[in-house]
Formats: sequence, structure tokens, C-alpha cells
Amino acid sequence: MLVQVENLTKTFRDFTAVEKVSFHIEAGEIVGLLGPNGAGKTTTIHMILGLITPTSGRIEIFGKSIATDREEILQQMNFTSPYVAFPYRLTVMENLKIFARLYAIPNPRERIDELLELFGITGLCKKPIARLSSGENTRVGLCKAFMNNPRLLLLDEPTAYLDPEIAWQVKNILLEAQREHGTTILYTSHNMDEVERMCNRIIFLHHGKVIASGSPIEITQAILEEERETPALEEVFMRVVKGKAA
Amino acid sequence: MKTYRIVAVIERHYYEARRNMDRIADMVYWPVLDIIVWGFFTIYLARGNRLQPGLVSFLLGAAILWGLFFSFQRDMAVGFLDELWSRNLINLFSTPLTVWEYLTGLILVNFLKAMVGLVAASLIAMAAYSFDIFPMLPKFMPYMANLVFFALSLGVMITGLIFRYTTKIQGLAWSFAGLLQPVSCVFYPIAALPRVLRGVAWMLPTAHSFEGMRSVLAGQGFSWFHFWWGAGLNAVYFVLAIGGFRWIFEAARRRGLLVKQE
Repeated sequence: MLVQVENLTKTFRDFTAVEKVSFHIEAGEIVGLLGPNGAGKTTTIHMILGLITPTSGRIEIFGKSIATDREEILQQMNFTSPYVAFPYRLTVMENLKIFARLYAIPNPRERIDELLELFGITGLCKKPIARLSSGENTRVGLCKAFMNNPRLLLLDEPTAYLDPEIAWQVKNILLEAQREHGTTILYTSHNMDEVERMCNRIIFLHHGKVIASGSPIEITQAILEEERETPALEEVFMRVVKGKAA
Repeated sequence: MKTYRIVAVIERHYYEARRNMDRIADMVYWPVLDIIVWGFFTIYLARGNRLQPGLVSFLLGAAILWGLFFSFQRDMAVGFLDELWSRNLINLFSTPLTVWEYLTGLILVNFLKAMVGLVAASLIAMAAYSFDIFPMLPKFMPYMANLVFFALSLGVMITGLIFRYTTKIQGLAWSFAGLLQPVSCVFYPIAALPRVLRGVAWMLPTAHSFEGMRSVLAGQGFSWFHFWWGAGLNAVYFVLAIGGFRWIFEAARRRGLLVKQE
């Protein structure tokens, strides 16, 4: 088991963002973390990254605790979200060089060139971040996320600002990483078609709790409470948001 | 602590300094401007025969050393603010980088920046007002070390406060050293202060550094007394700053402030 989360709870004063959440992720899986805004997805990801200390519960990654073995764990995983940014005066190359150094990447220039080509932004390497579009910024974030060939990748809405063509390319890159390198991915997205296509398994969060977990078709059947032959996550999502499931 | 991660932090701020005119101005502009203003003041005093022996050295030496202290303290906090302004904290702390490696990198890069400012101000003082601080440096060095050390503790403390209270208190980065200036006795002896403030001055390593510097310039030799007082206070403030920072950082992680900085 690559990730083991047990009874994870986070309260901010009198607000409970995450309540007794438990799940696991096997090596090589792509797991979707779904739920409406405020469901606790990002807080859960931030706790897995060690950026927020849980109120209670346990997180083990690669068989080690993020609370005690943070450096060793983070060396082998990575994260990106279009909602975090890079120093905007620095160029794409400068930013990526800093992260290559933080992960002690051998031959950093070679690795950066490889990633820039993979995500189709080679021509932007000398541009300051401030002059990039949101989609270009997202792709720089993905270059950073792949920098250390992570065993575990946490992606918070990685295709949010991408046009359909680039989003399609990114999804293929992720699937290829899973196939060829066995990369394990925890994925959040509001694009249900994307989640159906990408994820082997889904964990559905609502009001900080896991309300369903399983394959897209299992989730569909569990929440819609009827037999279906194909997944219908969009419908599931609407059902949850409208309060007909919990 | 891994050296390569500390180097990455230095590299990040080196690129920032190269591309951000504000950082270049902070590094050189203010220390040089201070020297120019105080230099003109000494010229004015000299013309009216109001210049007491050694006063040029007192004023310009003090202005140069205060510039070193002020810029080091300010740049520590501004360096951290740069991460907040660019929303880069999550990116940085989702890597194996530890907060202590980050602080060490910040300290080293700001030490280098403060040295650039010190050299620039010293060269202007020499070229424009024939005040050569360099021969005095061996005797000034221990006092300068105390100034830098105190600036470091203040920088760590203010960075910690910004972690906790975010950009709401960012003004402290520029204003806190100024608050200490009147009781640091930069341009006058501790004895010139009202009695009630003398006690405060005695608790500041800055006041002991400037008192010691004046002792050297007045030909009374190196004051070990002021050096050790300053060093002792520094040890206490450093322990408090590091302890306080650690506590604030852990509290920030508990409260989720690390991911909600703005």
C-alpha cells in the first residue's frame, strides 16, 4: 500500500473541514478525490503534503509517517495546483532550476528541457512567469510536478485552466506516466468526464466525510441507488450537491 | 540540513534581486543615500567651524553601520514577503525543503546583500568625504557581527510574525528597525538619553555596538565591555527568536495558515 490514511480529522476552531476520513491508495493507481467546493479535498491533500497538521488521525506514505519522515517522503512525491503560483518575475527556466535543485536532480538542464518539451512549452523557457497565460502557468506547474519522477503525484485540478486539446495531452501524459513508470496519482477535478476516463477508483467527499468509495460505476450505483451500465459521475455530483445523498 | 536545498533558496533570491529593481534599490540606494545626506551635514558643520574633532567619523561610521543593521533586518522580512506576494509558499514547502534550510538560505543571501550595501556606502564615504572606514574595520568587526546577529534575530522574529499574521503586518519589515533607532544611540551616546530610556538602550545590542564604535573612534580602544554585553544579549534574543519562530511555524501549520497566506 502506497498511501494509508486513517481517521483523518481536521478542525479549525468550531469548523470541521475533514472528519474521520480513511482511505488507501495502492501503487500504480489513479485515484480521484471528488466532492463539491468545501468538501475537504484540498485540506486532505495539504495534510498529506504535511502543510497542515491534522487534528487527529494518521497518514502513512511509502510505509512512513509524514509527521516524522517528511523530507524522505516529499523527495519521492510531488504536487501541483493551478491555484498556487511561482515567483512571477523569474523566468520559467529560473523557476524550474530552483525546483530541480531542491530535488537534487542530476543534469537539471537536461531534465528541464525534457519536461518543457513534454508539456509543449519549450519556447517559453526565457519568459517571466508574469507574462504567461493561466494555461501556460499550469503547464509550468506540471513540469515542476514531474521534475523528480515522483512515485506519488498529487494533482489538484490540473486541467482547470487548460484548453481541451492541451488538457487531452496532459491526461495522456499522466496515463503514460502511470503505465510506464507506475506513478501513483491522487487527482481532484470538477470535470467528471475526465475523472471517469482517468481514475481507477474514486473517493467521494462531502462535508468533510467520505460518502462513497469505489470504481466510477460502483460510485454511480451507490449514490444513485440504481443499476447502471455506465458511470454517470456528473449525475452523482449533482445528486450530492442537491443534498439527496449524504 | 542539505546544502543543495539552502543553495536553491539563495538562487531563488539571487534571481529575484537580479530581476527586481526594488531589491537592487534596497541593497544600494538607501545606504548610499544615507551617506550622502550625513556627508553634506558634516560639510555644513565644517564650513561654520562647528565640526568637533572626530565628528565626521562618528556620523559617517554610524550611518554606515546603521545601514548594515537596517538593511539586513528589512531584507530578511522582505525576502519572506516575496514568497507571500508571489504565492510560492505551498510550492516551496511541498518539496523536501525544511523551514530551517529556508531560513538559513534567507540569512546567507541577505548577509551578502547587506555586504554589497556596506561596501557601496563605504566607497561613497571615501570618495566624497574622504572618510575611510576600511582601516577601522578590524576593530569594528566584532561590533558589526553583533549588529548583524541582532538584525538576524529581529528578521527571524518578524518573519515568524508574518507567518502568523500574514501581510496584514508587512509594514513591520520596514519600520521595526526605525522604532529601535532612537534607543540604539546610533549618533549620540547612551548618556544623552533621558534616564528612563537608558535602561532600554542597555538591553539593545545595537546600542552597545555603537557605544563601542565611538570608543574606538575616540581613541579609547576596543571596548570588550560593550562587545560582551551585546554578545550576551544577542545570545538571549537569538534563542528567543528561534524558539518563537518554531512555535509560530507549528501553530501556523495547525491553523492551516501556511496554505492561506496572502
